[in-house]
Amino acid sequence: MTDMTSPMPHARTDAPDAEGREERRLGFWLTLPAQLLVLFIALFPILMQIYISLTDWSPLDGIPWYRAYELWIGLLNYADLAGDPRFWSALWRTGLVMAICVPVQVLLGLGLAILFVDDFRGKRVLYSTILVPMMVVPAVAGYMFFMLFQSGGPINDLLSMISGQRVTIAWLSDPDLALFAVIVSDIWQWTPLMFLILLAGMVSVPQDQQMAAVLLGASWGRRFRTIVLPRMKTIIIIAVAIRVIENFKVFDNFYIMTGGGPGVATETISIYIYKVTQQELIWGYVAAIALAILIVLSVVSMLAIRKMRKA
Amino acid sequence: MQRSLSFEIFRYTAIALFLALSLIPTAWMLSMAFKPIAEWQSSGVDLTWWPNNPTLDNFRFIFGHSSSDLIVALDRTAGRPILASLLSASFGTAIAMTAGTAAAYGLSRFGFGGNLPLALIQLRLFPPMAVMIPVMIMWAFLGLIDTWWGLALIYGIVTLPFAFWLMKTFFDDMPREIEDAALVEGCSRWRVFLRVTLPMMRPALASSALFVFILNWSDYLIALLLTTRDWVTIPVYMASLSSSMTGQLYGAKAALGLIAAVPPVIMGIAIQKQLVRGLTFGALKE
Repeated sequence: MTDMTSPMPHARTDAPDAEGREERRLGFWLTLPAQLLVLFIALFPILMQIYISLTDWSPLDGIPWYRAYELWIGLLNYADLAGDPRFWSALWRTGLVMAICVPVQVLLGLGLAILFVDDFRGKRVLYSTILVPMMVVPAVAGYMFFMLFQSGGPINDLLSMISGQRVTIAWLSDPDLALFAVIVSDIWQWTPLMFLILLAGMVSVPQDQQMAAVLLGASWGRRFRTIVLPRMKTIIIIAVAIRVIENFKVFDNFYIMTGGGPGVATETISIYIYKVTQQELIWGYVAAIALAILIVLSVVSMLAIRKMRKA
Repeated sequence: MQRSLSFEIFRYTAIALFLALSLIPTAWMLSMAFKPIAEWQSSGVDLTWWPNNPTLDNFRFIFGHSSSDLIVALDRTAGRPILASLLSASFGTAIAMTAGTAAAYGLSRFGFGGNLPLALIQLRLFPPMAVMIPVMIMWAFLGLIDTWWGLALIYGIVTLPFAFWLMKTFFDDMPREIEDAALVEGCSRWRVFLRVTLPMMRPALASSALFVFILNWSDYLIALLLTTRDWVTIPVYMASLSSSMTGQLYGAKAALGLIAAVPPVIMGIAIQKQLVRGLTFGALKE
């Protein structure tokens, strides 16, 4: 990159070299904006975060963030974090939501994909219709489910119709039912995504082996287990990884449906951080939480990527 | 493969059942959006699934015209938040697509920026909530809080990974013979990129841009943290459609929700074929 400023000596005498230089120059300039944006969003924020996390700074203190050293408390935030039951319970709850949502979404998606793998009448329209929920803005989806789960809302109405008596369950104000309700909204929204990815994977499994197995008289279940599933391993891993990553961040629909409540019954890690940021305004502490999560995620993702590369 | 009749029956029944359940929420919002206030009530006594007296009052109301049944008036109408959502999502898409396409080409053809693929995946991995404190401080310092251009900038960065990966897989797939031919003709590399490659990639650019736009349009958390009043986006504004005085303005919220939900659904269906590629970072192509 140092030769960027040096003028091109003689234009066309050594063509390959001049061309190589032109390519290097263009490659550099083309990738520069993306590099700068990544640097801008990765480097400064992380350094800032480390700095602030070592202080007791809050935007209400009346001192700018760069003078946060006046409130230096060292690693105290991290010590607090280790003993903060609300943090651990939010983390645990995020894990619980993930442990329920991801398997259900993958299994439902897989089941639907099996139904869609070969051609049938109306396939295209039904396929598009199934995809609709994943394209609804998550915040709007949260609002939809907020309406559905009102005690005088349509879900209780349906249950009343089925059971024959008036049902008035207060879904969103009971801790367990509220958690159930937000999980339902997540499953509703993201099952289509699993279906989409798993179907694409299933279609790409070559047909010839399956045909051979059919000729040998293997049952459908057996063909699926021994031929289709093993070849879908990578795709299933990708699908699960995508949902695990996104599910860990979950905020929009949960926050709109319950605000993390009642109490902290539906408080996931993102909602917890948001509340400490906006309501309690202890930003030094928030920086420590965020950094701890970033470190854990980095380590986990590095290990996962390394393992996937080996495989 | 031939399937038996019983399987066909099972297939249609299962799909119908799934669709019935999965369409309830959307159908309910659709119905609420056209209900007059008398039918919004959550008392549950006279709950109707279909509006008895369909009306456009809810839509008129959020755009600031008083509604015959609603005494309350809005201090802010939905027009500005819709504009905020449109501007921030569009310009965010422009930033992500410009930087992403250029970088993808640079890497795909010249091997520059080898660190980008992994760095961008990592960027995608982190919950936005975990970097928002520094971003809020930086945005405040740059005077970008509560502006659509401030939102557009962060949207551009947040969706850059998708733009980059999508375009990278498209460039990797593209045969190089045509570019090589143009080079032999004496075009410079830069000219080839602008005049030959990009026009050929028009469909890929369009579907990637739509994909990125949907992601930007769908944001709630970032706008919630970075906008306060003037340039709040649709989802943030939605919360203001309820107050202790009026209670939940169900119909108005449903009408606005419908306005927010329709564009991404149409776009998403239009780019169905590229959705898998986009959502799996190009690991899977259909």
